[in-house]
Amino acid sequence: MALVHKLLNGTYILRKCLKPGVASCPFLGTRSADYCSSSLEKPAAAPGKASSQRKTEGNLEGHHQREVALDITSPEDKPEVSFDKAIKEEIMDHFRRLKNDIVNHWIGPEGRPLHEVLMEQAKVVWQFRGKEDLDKWIVTSDKVIGGRSEVFLKMGKSNRSALLYGTLSSEAPQDGESDRSGYCAMISKIPRGPFERKRFYDWSQFNTLYLRVRGDGRPWMVNIREDMDIIQRKDQMYSYFMFTRGGPYWQEVKIPFSKFFFSNRGRIRDAQYQLLLDKISSIGFTLADKVDGPFFLEIDFIGVFTDPAHTEEFAYENSPELSPRLFK
Amino acid sequence: MNPLILIILLTTLILGTMMVVTSSHWLLAWIGFEMNMMAFIPIMMKNPNPRATEASTKYLLTQATASALLMMAVIINLMHSGQWTITKLFNPTASTLMTVALAIKLGLAPFHFWVPEVTQGIPLTTGLILLTWQKLAPLSILYQISPSINLHLMLIMSLLSILMGGWGGLNQTQLRKIMAYSSIAHMGWMTAILLYNPTLTLLNLLIYITMTFTMFMLFIQNSTTTTLSLSQTWNKMPVITTLTMLTLLSMGGLPPLSGFMPKWMIIQELTKNDMLIVPTFMAITALLNLYFYMRLTYSTALTLFPSTNNMKMKWQFNSTKRTPLLPTAIVISTMLLPLTPMLSILL
Repeated sequence: MALVHKLLNGTYILRKCLKPGVASCPFLGTRSADYCSSSLEKPAAAPGKASSQRKTEGNLEGHHQREVALDITSPEDKPEVSFDKAIKEEIMDHFRRLKNDIVNHWIGPEGRPLHEVLMEQAKVVWQFRGKEDLDKWIVTSDKVIGGRSEVFLKMGKSNRSALLYGTLSSEAPQDGESDRSGYCAMISKIPRGPFERKRFYDWSQFNTLYLRVRGDGRPWMVNIREDMDIIQRKDQMYSYFMFTRGGPYWQEVKIPFSKFFFSNRGRIRDAQYQLLLDKISSIGFTLADKVDGPFFLEIDFIGVFTDPAHTEEFAYENSPELSPRLFK
Repeated sequence: MNPLILIILLTTLILGTMMVVTSSHWLLAWIGFEMNMMAFIPIMMKNPNPRATEASTKYLLTQATASALLMMAVIINLMHSGQWTITKLFNPTASTLMTVALAIKLGLAPFHFWVPEVTQGIPLTTGLILLTWQKLAPLSILYQISPSINLHLMLIMSLLSILMGGWGGLNQTQLRKIMAYSSIAHMGWMTAILLYNPTLTLLNLLIYITMTFTMFMLFIQNSTTTTLSLSQTWNKMPVITTLTMLTLLSMGGLPPLSGFMPKWMIIQELTKNDMLIVPTFMAITALLNLYFYMRLTYSTALTLFPSTNNMKMKWQFNSTKRTPLLPTAIVISTMLLPLTPMLSILL
């Protein structure tokens, strides 16, 4: 629970004024975040949640189209569309990002001083507090191969979480070659720098993934992909399972990075490799549990932290019988 | 890896470099380069994992391209001079192409992008071989063709290397990438003086190899690959921590440690040749290098980073890692400055 408070407060550390003692001591800045109790916000009360869940499920079948946000503006305040100005602004935005990049490189990794980055033990990587946070994610389902699952992503109650919902259908597409279907996924977009350069996350000082979710009892798969520039890296993925409880209470899922297993082109390989944390590209959640019907997953935030009690480096062994190539 | 295969690969690696260093025929030197590359790639894959595969692929692509360019330069030289002897080159095109090819092999800017990525993907011992032994062969060829190298091209590449080596290493928390960027910067210093006094190139190479060897041995003994884990050594081996600090400062080029010797001699030699702006620029951009060594020193030896145990010092067991010649290397890389007069004319 203290960890939840620390992570929640950590997100507000920039907006609230720090106490003078904290501000003058950058080494302890992140550690005394849990003393800033003024920014503690409890999650929304439980009784309201139960009814909203039922309402959401009841609405799923009838109101799919209406709940997709289209951002239609009224005719009065239609913005002026100017092609040249848009292109110029795009280019200026890229140059501004390049300048920020150079200045941040001087300050330290990720634009923060090095001692702050080294001392950090918990970090919120993705949180859902507004529409712009949803833009960092892509939702996909087996509709792209001709299936019938549907998935949508929208902001949850009072902009405190994101709701991923839809219907899973394992009816195979009628294309004559697939006999199995039924998956939905939410994948984070690869972070980009100036001129759409691919960036990656460096989580090498953390060892556990922390998720605050509220699901409906379905088992989800958490997939992490590393840097995808090399030619065969697009197919490689490290995954683990996240079992959600269906209750009205928020669930805190901690998955150590040592538990992630390696798969290539969707198949779990005999030769297992450790997930190396210095070039993480994207994270994704997949639902493919062969159960038809509606589903939902509410996510508050996704973070990483160092669990000092967790000393395991890699949970799986390679055996000489299954993968003799590794033991030559 | 099977010990027999490892012995064959290491022997081929050594033989390839020796062939490059001792041959007087261009074809044999090229064969030596190829043997070197072919033997090194399985060594990089000692612990097979996707990251090591990526590092080996990048290494293969860059080195094979460089070898192809080298062969093309040799053939152009052959067309214009009719002979295969490794002396100065007889054609400016051949000379430029060969300089570029050897710069790719060494990791000079603007061809330096492969060095940090490859060094990061391989184990520490292999990284040591990459950053020390693999520099011998290209530098020996550069030494031999130095009369015919284009001055402007070489100076621009070396100044860029010192700058990019300093700038790129600023934000790194991974130790292998820090060593890679330090290698890029040192290669810049070595090639800057190549056209004026090649003896100092060899002196700089010798001191650089000693210091890099010391640093890698210290990392291997502590089994660290990140700054954070290096900062915990005060708890385990305090004497090693102090010596790490001295070696890092020596790499930064601070007197009275031996890393100051090559920088001093190079700046002196450049000023003797009436160049003022170039050595000033080099000395100032070497400060970037010193900055990230100092940061590493700060987090390792000058401050006590918080650690997870409650004791002042952990039990000190005998180390199980094989770190040959570590005390000798530390002494050489920190205390060699008084021997400057002998070393600067010996090589």
